[in-house]
Amino acid sequence: VQNLVPDAFPLLSLITYLPLVGMLVLFLVPRISDDTARWTALITSGVVLVVSLLLLTRPVAEGAGAAGKFAPMIWNEQFEWLPEIGISYHFGADGMSILFVLLTTLLTPLAIIASWSSVGTRVREFHISMLLLETGLIGAFLSLDLFLFYVFFELSLIPMALIIGIWGSRNRVYSAIKFFLYTLAGSLLMLVAIVATYQAFYNQTGRRTLDVLELATQTYGVPFQYWVFAAFFIAFAIKVPMWPVHTWLPDAHTEAPTAGSVMLAAVMLKLGGYGMLRFCLPLYPEAARYFAPAIMILSTIAIIYGALVALPQPDWKRLVAYSSVSHMGFVTLGIFAFNEQALQGAIMVMFAHGLNTAALFLCVGIVYERAHTREIRLFRGLSSTMPIYSAFFCAFVFASIGLPGMTGFVGEFHALMGAFRGPGFASDDQLNLYRTTAIIASLVVILSAWYMLWLYQRVAQGTAPGLQLAHAHAGGHGGLGHDAGHAHGAHGHDSDDHGGDKVDRDHRAAPEAHGAPTDHGAHDPAEAASHEMHLTDVKPREILTLAPLLVLTIVFGFFPGPIFELVAPAVDNLLAAFK
Amino acid sequence: VPEPIVSSDFNWVVLLPHLIVLALALVTLAYDIIVPDGQERNWFMTAMSVAGYGGAIVAALALTARYESSFREMAVLDDLGIFLIVTLLAAALLTVFIAATTIPQMRMPLGEFYTLLAFSTLGGMVVAATTDLVMIFVGIELSSLAVFILAAFAKRRRESIEGALKYFLLSAFATAILLYGMAWLYGVTGSTNLTTIATRLTAYTDRNNASLLLATLLIVVGLGFKAAAVPFHMWTPDAYQGAPTPVTAFMSVAPKVTAFAAMIRVLIEGMGPMRDQWVPLLIVLSVLTMGLGNLVAIAQRSVKRMLAYSSIAHTGYILVGIASFQAANTGDIAIASVLFYNFAYTFMNLGAFAIVAWLQSKGRGESVDDFSGLAVTAPLHAAAMAVFLFSLTGVPPLLGFYGKYFIIQAAIEANLTWLAIVVVIFSAISAFYYLRLVATMYFGEPQGEPERIPARFFGLGIAVMVVATLVLGVLSGPILDLARQWVF
Repeated sequence: VQNLVPDAFPLLSLITYLPLVGMLVLFLVPRISDDTARWTALITSGVVLVVSLLLLTRPVAEGAGAAGKFAPMIWNEQFEWLPEIGISYHFGADGMSILFVLLTTLLTPLAIIASWSSVGTRVREFHISMLLLETGLIGAFLSLDLFLFYVFFELSLIPMALIIGIWGSRNRVYSAIKFFLYTLAGSLLMLVAIVATYQAFYNQTGRRTLDVLELATQTYGVPFQYWVFAAFFIAFAIKVPMWPVHTWLPDAHTEAPTAGSVMLAAVMLKLGGYGMLRFCLPLYPEAARYFAPAIMILSTIAIIYGALVALPQPDWKRLVAYSSVSHMGFVTLGIFAFNEQALQGAIMVMFAHGLNTAALFLCVGIVYERAHTREIRLFRGLSSTMPIYSAFFCAFVFASIGLPGMTGFVGEFHALMGAFRGPGFASDDQLNLYRTTAIIASLVVILSAWYMLWLYQRVAQGTAPGLQLAHAHAGGHGGLGHDAGHAHGAHGHDSDDHGGDKVDRDHRAAPEAHGAPTDHGAHDPAEAASHEMHLTDVKPREILTLAPLLVLTIVFGFFPGPIFELVAPAVDNLLAAFK
Repeated sequence: VPEPIVSSDFNWVVLLPHLIVLALALVTLAYDIIVPDGQERNWFMTAMSVAGYGGAIVAALALTARYESSFREMAVLDDLGIFLIVTLLAAALLTVFIAATTIPQMRMPLGEFYTLLAFSTLGGMVVAATTDLVMIFVGIELSSLAVFILAAFAKRRRESIEGALKYFLLSAFATAILLYGMAWLYGVTGSTNLTTIATRLTAYTDRNNASLLLATLLIVVGLGFKAAAVPFHMWTPDAYQGAPTPVTAFMSVAPKVTAFAAMIRVLIEGMGPMRDQWVPLLIVLSVLTMGLGNLVAIAQRSVKRMLAYSSIAHTGYILVGIASFQAANTGDIAIASVLFYNFAYTFMNLGAFAIVAWLQSKGRGESVDDFSGLAVTAPLHAAAMAVFLFSLTGVPPLLGFYGKYFIIQAAIEANLTWLAIVVVIFSAISAFYYLRLVATMYFGEPQGEPERIPARFFGLGIAVMVVATLVLGVLSGPILDLARQWVF
């Protein structure tokens, strides 16, 4: 198996641009039928998944790689592109890149399957966007040239913004533009930092390059490192997203269609963590050490804040979105603890979060498609109406909490242990800080159990299924005074971002929106009402989207070894600069 | 005592692209008068214009790396000049594609349009390929005069006349200032030849004396007017909005390229030794221009006016490139970035105006709301517009991103990192108004019947611009190489 792919074969480029083939087919056939468009996209992304599995055919390369900070690239492709100004077309994959590429290629077909019936308008354009998004994300995970990385990093923004803005729910345009502007602002600062690093490298060596493997061979001056690191870090922190630059995330997630939420949560957020590991730490190690204590504190705040704000959310999807902020806090917590266990844990959290949160969004999507609402208070007793669904949902709830035997536990446990140990170079004061943050963060696990289990209790347990829904749609708000009051009471916790206003608007719009779900023009009210009365259990197609994620969560929960081995060389080499 | 002119001073090959365009202008003028009205008539003139500009582009590219001059350096053909000439010719050619369909639909005479277009292009070409102050002045005037008439082309519309008159009066004023500055420069250095001026200024010890500073100030102000730099931009929004949209498309590109050609020639080639004196002026102008252009564009409801302010903002970005000039070393990224940005700007800005012109020729207005739901009614045009707007924003991998990238690189190499950050911040702000239009097209409610794709020329022009915007960025290596080969 090891020599399945010849040395000169441009596998990385093939994986990156293969989605564009399907995209071009869709683009060039304007009158393509909806089902053909769906199949074209699904087959394309399926082929991409199969081809991307070839990445695993070569053994993980051990030992030191470029600049002593990178793992030896298992796959490497380099051509001259704009040689006069030092821009090269350089794709490379070590274990870490491979992990995230596989996450992308796995989730894209799942997201396309999940949108099979929920996306009914402009189907062709939707799948064009999905495939373009896949190309952008894969390219970003494979680029080793900063310019190339920036191109793909930005390229993935446009389709994502379109997916949110066209196929999202009520407040979609606002969310799409907020998402785009937030990320663009962050990445433009990164662009200045990229060129500044390029110029600093030129001043020190007389050579012009944007190849990160070469740029990392130099040590840059200290005040310079600080601001360049900050520019990179802010761009990636917005992607992660870290508190306090997370405010785009709840809006984007809540309004995005299921596929958009899945890709956003499972893959796009990982670009933030990946970017820190790939670029920030190797290029600017001194600055990373300098800012680490502050970042540890911010991460802890994010972990607590995300959990506390998730707790009172009346919107199912918004709750999951805030839980993302909390979980991703463990990623930055692990990265900036600078030891092997913490870094491995951080990568594992990203992988686990990719599987779990994707699954949770799929679960919300399945119910939303049937009930056309995501308000938690309107659901009860799903475990008797949708037993299979509830079993899956229950499993993912536990995965999210971090039940041992699932990937989430492995990741967060290692990240916390690593954070408690702190970096090898830390002074006593710093060590105390690391320990304090780790202890506080581990206490938050209780909060996450609270909000997730409470969510499960409210929607899946209890009796009189359907009664609440029927009631709500017959009488609008008349019979729900108590519930509405409860939801309003919850605003207080959420008042420092736009969540509060949003919920208010939802409430006012609720009666008409439930009576006639205008944001899904394809369904007429009568049909919608019948769906709501009889929430049917998951169809085989939907099981097909959930089952792989559950299997992977459990398999790698019990046997995380292969993933740790895959990323170990990358982690070990990266840590050489932080002894 | 001037030396007598001998026949060896005449090298007509140097002027080949100019002569082709001049012939085109005269032939369309004559043809328009002689041949009676008819459908084939428009078609023939369009074909002739396409052939003329295409031939001139081929001729210009064939003359690269010859570095010949003629008429005692009144006409100089260096690679810098050729790059600018090709940019101008491309602008003219694309304008022909746009106008061939939209001008007759707007019931305006196509023959006169083509004639004036050719004269204006010729003026820009004269500026691009000379190293003499007098020729630069003549070229700017030829270019401007034709555009004044074009701006008033919709002669029955008050706004068109008003915009043209404002443009004419302010431009005449600016011309006087520019000429006065040139006179002072001549007075101090005793020559109108830019190479000689540069040599004498280098030998000059006191570069801070009042007459030289006055000359610098007057020239920067005069050229700032022509390039629509803030605070000399007042004519731009009215002139752009009043003129028929195909004219606006050309106006927003060719006179700007001409003005930047003049800036490169006069400020960098001639007054390069005075760098320390004019760079601070340009930095101030660039920050003001980026700031005002971008901030005022946000408030516009008319797409044409928004694009007018956005074109002011782009002037600001290009000024950053000129302000990043350090020393006249071949391959200097500052001048290359200015050339590349002008080239990139030509395609994306003409494209954006072309879509507005097309929408107007379909009887719609030009406000943001008129674009609502265009992605449903005319998906190809909406996609093209989205490409142009994303490129103007500077989103990779589109052409505009590479333009901005090279400008930022030039600024950072010149130790103007803070200016690069200003460029970046205003790019982020500009995303707001460009995206709002994209959002309206893609997320808004569609209105009206599905539009039909119009005649072949227009579609071809749009296709060329879209492909250029998509592809030339990724393949920017050869273009940048050509831009970096400038030699004075």
